[in-house]
Amino acid sequence: MTTLDTARAPHATRSLTRHLPALRKGIGLLLLVALAIAFLIPILWMTVMSFQEGGKMFNLRTEWIPKVWHFENYPNAISRAPFVQYFINSGIVSLTVMIGNVVFCTLAGYGLAKFRFPGSGLVLLLILSTLMLPLEVTLVPTFLIVHKFEWINTYQGIVAPLLIDAFGVFLMRQSILSIPTDYIEAARIDGAGELRILLQIIVPQCLPALSVLAIFSFRDSWDQFLWPLTVVSIDALRTYPLGLVQFGEEYGNPATEQMAIAVLATLPVFLLFLILQRSVNRGFGLSGLK
Amino acid sequence: MSELTTATTYQLSAPPPVARKFWQLHHRQRIRLWGFAFVLPTLLFFAVFKYGPMMWAIDLSFNSYDMVSAPQFVGLGNYRALFGDPIFRETLVNTFVYIAGSTLLTTVIGLMLALAINTGIPGARHCMTAMFLTNLMPIIAVCLVWRFLLHPYGLVNQMLQPLGVSRIDWLTSSSTAMPAIIMVTVWRFAPYFMVIFLAALLALPEDYYEAAELDGAGAIRRFFHITLPLLMPTIFFVVVVSALLCARIFLMPYLITGGGPGNATRVLSMLIYETGFSYLKMGQAAAISVVLFTIMMVFTALQIRLFSRSEQVYM
Repeated sequence: MTTLDTARAPHATRSLTRHLPALRKGIGLLLLVALAIAFLIPILWMTVMSFQEGGKMFNLRTEWIPKVWHFENYPNAISRAPFVQYFINSGIVSLTVMIGNVVFCTLAGYGLAKFRFPGSGLVLLLILSTLMLPLEVTLVPTFLIVHKFEWINTYQGIVAPLLIDAFGVFLMRQSILSIPTDYIEAARIDGAGELRILLQIIVPQCLPALSVLAIFSFRDSWDQFLWPLTVVSIDALRTYPLGLVQFGEEYGNPATEQMAIAVLATLPVFLLFLILQRSVNRGFGLSGLK
Repeated sequence: MSELTTATTYQLSAPPPVARKFWQLHHRQRIRLWGFAFVLPTLLFFAVFKYGPMMWAIDLSFNSYDMVSAPQFVGLGNYRALFGDPIFRETLVNTFVYIAGSTLLTTVIGLMLALAINTGIPGARHCMTAMFLTNLMPIIAVCLVWRFLLHPYGLVNQMLQPLGVSRIDWLTSSSTAMPAIIMVTVWRFAPYFMVIFLAALLALPEDYYEAAELDGAGAIRRFFHITLPLLMPTIFFVVVVSALLCARIFLMPYLITGGGPGNATRVLSMLIYETGFSYLKMGQAAAISVVLFTIMMVFTALQIRLFSRSEQVYM
């Protein structure tokens, strides 16, 4: 009997220590999920409300599961204002800005990371210093410049000041810095041209950083409100944020339909994130996370 | 004679290295030129859309200009008018309160979220992705949704009711409007800084923790004696980035409170837009731009010092 007990004892304690962390992990996961849901509540609320009946939005108690799903909120909202045109405008602007950032930030980032030319240190400083000059600060003179170009109420007027962002240049520079210079030298000895080196050696190695750049530059131009508000005054060129705010200000438009447009506006960014997620995680250095 | 020939042969054999050296220099120069060519489009772009406008703003801030008649030099008149204006002074204070409050809270909560995710709990990655969605939702949708959530009968008050909190008029009372805007900012930005902190946490060397655990240091002591000191550069980075983001905030107060009640949530970027485009006082608006620019310059100077040291850069 006694021998049996002593033989079993270590095994029992081991299984206890093995189960305790599992329990703790379970509780921890529960808490984490609760936290994530707390952060997601506004997004869930927006989605639920976009299917609700007009008056239900100001109920004293939020009805989380609609008694009747009003899918017609979506076509109704779209028919009340030219949202299709607004979304197309936003799409044109955002994709152009995204491509502009991806192309020019990669070029400049490569130039700053792997080349030493006279004044390269100064150029670095000059580009960094534009961080203190966001559009909110230079709004008035930027408007006057675009006015001089006669680009008020044009696509190029909306796109131009957003085309390159210093953060993107630095993101790409830091990413390219970690690529060994030997690769570049070897390619040069093999007779590869500078553009070919950039496209075939540099770009494939900084895809994670490029994904981060793509998603953030798309989001920031998709989000842009102040600049289109300043530079656009005709309906045909309005981007969706301007249209959505105007839609809310016009009397009689149900708030639930406003939420429907907000849901539609959220989808492209989430979709882009879904496509690039793995790469974005690596771009942020999160590949070690369980 | 023989000496001469040796001299000439020497001279004859000399050119190749010189020539190669020249060719090499040429080659190097060509590569440098490529480097400059890669940066040139960005530099030209910034000259037209960043440095140009900024210099124009400084010039304009000494003038009175309404886009109709020619600019008129008024010296320091715009600045004198600004600092004599109680609305401008209130806006300036609001901007500082907003930057300080949002930066402090986003940094602390962002770090806490990152620590929670980094506990090694399986599935934590998905929770992180879910939280990060708040950072990807279009800011316009964020503003519209939160305006409803913060309504007197909105979801926030509904959820506070069981805790015994009586109804708060978040957006229409001057004491709660700014905290409400800061709350939305934290909801929006904390998950983003969580990701930055998480990347830094994952890069921390594990052996420190193993050694500390062997020495019997508890979780709290490990955090204050290992994690926090090692994380200091990242914390500093987050504070500066957050301050830069918050200094230029426009849409949240513009859409959620419209700068009100009174001027309780009016910030500098809103004042620039209103002064320039509602009242067409371009000179005065430029003067406010110069003030905001000065504030951002301080943070940018810190940022540049950080960039020159740290390895990682995020948007």
